Amino acid sequence: MPLNVDNIWILDIFGIEVWITETIVNSWIIMAILIALAIFIRIKMRKFKEIPTGFQNLVEAGVEMFHNFAQNTLGEKLLYISPWFFSIFVFIFSSSLFSIFGLRAPTADFATTGAFALATFILMIVLGTRHKKGEYIKSYFEPHFIFFPLNLIGELAKPVSLSFRLFGNMLSGTIILTLYYSLTPIFVQIGIPAFFHAFFDVFFGAIQTYIFVIISQMYVKTAAD
Amino acid sequence: MQNMILYLAQNSQEGRVFGLDQQTLISMLIQLLNGVILAVALGFILYKPLKEFMQKRTDRIQGKIDNAEATMAKAKELIAEYNEKLSQIDITSQEVIEEARLKAADESRVIIETAKQEAQEIRARTLESIEDDKRRLKEEARLYIIELAFLIAQKYVAQSIDDETQERLFEEALSELEEAQWQN
Repeated sequence: MPLNVDNIWILDIFGIEVWITETIVNSWIIMAILIALAIFIRIKMRKFKEIPTGFQNLVEAGVEMFHNFAQNTLGEKLLYISPWFFSIFVFIFSSSLFSIFGLRAPTADFATTGAFALATFILMIVLGTRHKKGEYIKSYFEPHFIFFPLNLIGELAKPVSLSFRLFGNMLSGTIILTLYYSLTPIFVQIGIPAFFHAFFDVFFGAIQTYIFVIISQMYVKTAAD
Repeated sequence: MQNMILYLAQNSQEGRVFGLDQQTLISMLIQLLNGVILAVALGFILYKPLKEFMQKRTDRIQGKIDNAEATMAKAKELIAEYNEKLSQIDITSQEVIEEARLKAADESRVIIETAKQEAQEIRARTLESIEDDKRRLKEEARLYIIELAFLIAQKYVAQSIDDETQERLFEEALSELEEAQWQN
């Protein structure tokens, strides 16, 4: 498993060089699989019954669990943005899971974690301004206007810390596994890595996904409430 | 096409682990767009419809529970109402029986009174009839005695007076008798 994020294509769009990296392509693959799965569930939904059983139970439990989680963190007022966090949650966790199959996790690239943290920052500003009106802008100048730079840095630190936390954690798993595969003889590369993958990709991935989403929700709620 | 794909993978620049430059920013924007597309797709295809489905089912079940509770409350009201009616019916039936008993007692008293009255009337009528019979028999006896006395007197007188005297005496006796009857 290479550590580098490879460039698959390089495009020239209006004179600007655009790298289509492995992260972006892997994201598209994961997105395609997730959307296909969503369409499959949507088709299956036509046969969903009043009393859920089997597959329906699994799907409903997953969505219900996330809805309750979002409701507890965001509150009723901001629950309308829960689909965004649902998608982020599913995507980040799927990224970790797909790395089991050798697909480099898109979250092990700062471009992905930075993008999601940027989205959180944009949501903080938009929802803060929408729900608190002038109070949100005013909060940057409290307790005195000279604190504006400090407040601004404080607010900017949020998405930066958010993005680097997830990036660092996911990259660490990738680095450890890469080192393991590079430095160990071939006979210990069968069976044993499954435990590392289970720990770094499934367990660590789930925890980091949960942390990223809950902190994002807290930031947005704090800004908007 | 010049703005399209320039190189394939073999011509691409060497990859990297981390960098803070224009390409990272462009990749971030692409990933942000990917995130938005995924959120819209998952939101519209899966999350919202499933939430609506579950919400509708919750509402339906809640509606059924509310309906059942309302029906139960109504049933309890009806039971209370019927119990009230039953107790009212018991009271009414007792009243009707009591009223009937009193009415029957009144009617029996009236019937007995009427019977007594009728008996007294019958008795009075009977006594009157007896008195009439007695009077009639007395009259008949008197007339019979008169006639008998007359016959006896006739037989007695026949031996001593002639027919002319006898006729005169009879007329006198008769006129006296009629005079006496008229005076009575």
